[in-house]
Amino acid sequence: MTPLLGSFTIWLSLFFCIFQFIITLKNKNIKYLHLCVNGLLISSLISFLLLMYSFIISDFSILNVFQNSHTTKPLFYKITAVWGNHEGSMLLWILVLTLFNFFIFKLIDNKNSSFILKTLLIQSSITIGFILFTIFTSNPFQKIFPTPENGLGFNPILQDPALAIHPPLLYIGYVGFSAAFSMSVATLTFKNHQNILWYSYMKPFVMAAWTFLTIGIALGSIWAYYELGWGGWWFWDPVENASFMPWLIGTALLHSLVIVEKRKSLQAWVLLLSILAFLLSVIGTFLVRSGILTSVHTFALDPSRGIYILAFTALLGGYSLILYGINSKKFFNNNYFNSFSREGSILINNIFMVVVCATVFLGTIYPLIIEALTSNKISVGEPYFNSTVIPIMIPAILIMGIAPLLNWGKEDKLKIFKKIAPTFLSTIGMTIFILIAYKPNSVLGVVGIILAFWIISNNLLILIKKNKNYSKGMIIAHLGIGLLILGITGSSTWQEEKILKMNINNQVQIKKYNIIFEKINEIKGSNYVALQGKFLVYDNNKKFITELRPENRFYPITNIFTTEASINTNLFRDLYMVLGEGNSEKGWVVKIYYNPLVMWIWLGALIIFLGGLISLSNNLKKLQVLSK
Amino acid sequence: MKNRLIIIPLIFFLLIILTFFYLLIIERNPSEIPSNLINKEAPYFKAESLFKDKEFISSEHFGNEVILVNFFATWCKPCLDEHEFIKGFSNKKKIKIIGINYKDNPKKTIKWLKKLGNPYSNIPLDKNGRIAIEWGVYGIPETYLINSKGFIKYRHVGPITKKIYKKINLLIDEIK
Repeated sequence: MTPLLGSFTIWLSLFFCIFQFIITLKNKNIKYLHLCVNGLLISSLISFLLLMYSFIISDFSILNVFQNSHTTKPLFYKITAVWGNHEGSMLLWILVLTLFNFFIFKLIDNKNSSFILKTLLIQSSITIGFILFTIFTSNPFQKIFPTPENGLGFNPILQDPALAIHPPLLYIGYVGFSAAFSMSVATLTFKNHQNILWYSYMKPFVMAAWTFLTIGIALGSIWAYYELGWGGWWFWDPVENASFMPWLIGTALLHSLVIVEKRKSLQAWVLLLSILAFLLSVIGTFLVRSGILTSVHTFALDPSRGIYILAFTALLGGYSLILYGINSKKFFNNNYFNSFSREGSILINNIFMVVVCATVFLGTIYPLIIEALTSNKISVGEPYFNSTVIPIMIPAILIMGIAPLLNWGKEDKLKIFKKIAPTFLSTIGMTIFILIAYKPNSVLGVVGIILAFWIISNNLLILIKKNKNYSKGMIIAHLGIGLLILGITGSSTWQEEKILKMNINNQVQIKKYNIIFEKINEIKGSNYVALQGKFLVYDNNKKFITELRPENRFYPITNIFTTEASINTNLFRDLYMVLGEGNSEKGWVVKIYYNPLVMWIWLGALIIFLGGLISLSNNLKKLQVLSK
Repeated sequence: MKNRLIIIPLIFFLLIILTFFYLLIIERNPSEIPSNLINKEAPYFKAESLFKDKEFISSEHFGNEVILVNFFATWCKPCLDEHEFIKGFSNKKKIKIIGINYKDNPKKTIKWLKKLGNPYSNIPLDKNGRIAIEWGVYGIPETYLINSKGFIKYRHVGPITKKIYKKINLLIDEIK
């Protein structure tokens, strides 16, 4: 029954969506629009809940549930399994699309109705595309006969709280850009664009998308760090890049929107960025789902899906960019502005972000281009990304520290020296302190620390002074970026790694810690068995610090081995330990990492998220004023 | 000048999309990872054998005839999908197939083969995945074609599909 009902509700969503498309196209019968938008949201919500219900009751007559669940799985992970696979995640994607559709509809009033209707038209075309894709290539309610007794289980690597909520947040980010895309296309086709404050409508959507994308990416990193047991949190994997690129463009877009609001310039640029942000989100999805790339994250290989998404992307991108080519001239103006001003510095940073994005994009698809041209297979890895992205990021961060202090229009050069003097001095002070206290041996590390303090002290000072001229959300988010840089610098520059074979009672020294292998136990979890090592950590003064218990788990249902890293965290460093293969005679392979300042990456990301939320709520308030 | 610049995004976009289309359409398999072992001797290994009491020693088997080596496990769904094709090789080509049972439970494997049919002439057990490491296995299922001199001639990562089945059949005829 459920599968039938599920398929029915997806078709119902399609029906409402086509209905919305027709109404908004004809610009007639607007009273029914209300019905469509709500119907669309409710029917896609029901289909999503039905799939969730099937997972909860373990309805194995549905292929998707059979392949991705098992009766012994904890309830929490049964629920999250809904979006842990391709078909279910498409349902979530559609749900978020219709949710944003609903929010766009909420903006409608007498003054802006024709603009909002155009936006809803574009939004419904995007939604139709994704619903058709789901129905024809990835129906989550496909039945299986005969009904199997139990499911195949669920990849235990994916059983992690951070990963469980990572996809929904990430999707709010990706799909949020669809609203900006729709508005951008609507603006480009709109005749009286001067009369409509399209950028003010666009801003909260971009803000929401960017904020959730940030925390979504951070949670993905947290998962990789805690679950994969590789000692790192970012691997320049194509899938990571696929989320990083829209983030970079989103960052540029967010800041440019501020300029458009204040100065009415850069309109054509903002329209382009909002198109690119969504296109990159869809291309990212294409790269992940089509199997065109090999990566640790990729979903099942299926060429028909690839062709569909690509054709759809070509349609979206082709249409919007042709439109841009024809109509964007109208949005040009010749307000050149001083580079030594708030808007000037934002524009410079915009360019940096776009260049970084282009670099990452090139690195990600370069193997594909080479293969298409020469049929050689190559791979582009960390060294490329580190050596191209970091040098561009350094000046961008320098400017980011000073930009909020500059005035709009034109800045007096003497005044600015006065403004930055306190931060400048405190940055130098902190740097000297670090140099003396820790005697760092890496130039790049020192540069990173300087940049981090530069951003942190700038924003802390503004925050302490309670200056009303600055948006609080922005300052908090920037502070978060400073902390993030601190964490990234520390963990990537001064990481220490030891891999060795240890027997019981052996000990090993890493930094100032002495680690003793005490014993190894067999333990039993709810759906796994594990070998758990017990290690005691002492510092140089023989003071007991902590106990580390890394595990080697075996999940009998899926026959998968996983390693559970054991991590001791404080504000200065992580001690990260992984238990490898071995036996009691020959000893066990043990990996130990000393990762400085990792905690600050997560704290930084959280603070950026909070800053984003504060800005978002401020923007929504402004929007309410606008509609009155 | 400015007017011409605004079609640049479109041109870039179209070029990228065309590249992707080309890659999707051509006979390409991203899981066809070039192996360092191609045209080299198959790695030596010793292992317990599933149905036989005698230990499996690779050098006793390789180097006399054309052999297909297939890494499989009962817990792997794609292995189930390709099983019909593996049986096809054994029935139609009368070729010897060594099935390396990767990180699996022997009892389950016996049940699995009873239900689905056993195309393998010998099943060495790779209990801890050591053999797979030696062979550079990327992910199971994985299939290797070995010529009568004991050299690896072809490697396929992932389940065998109709296309790959035909391709391997042609290769077998070629090197036989």
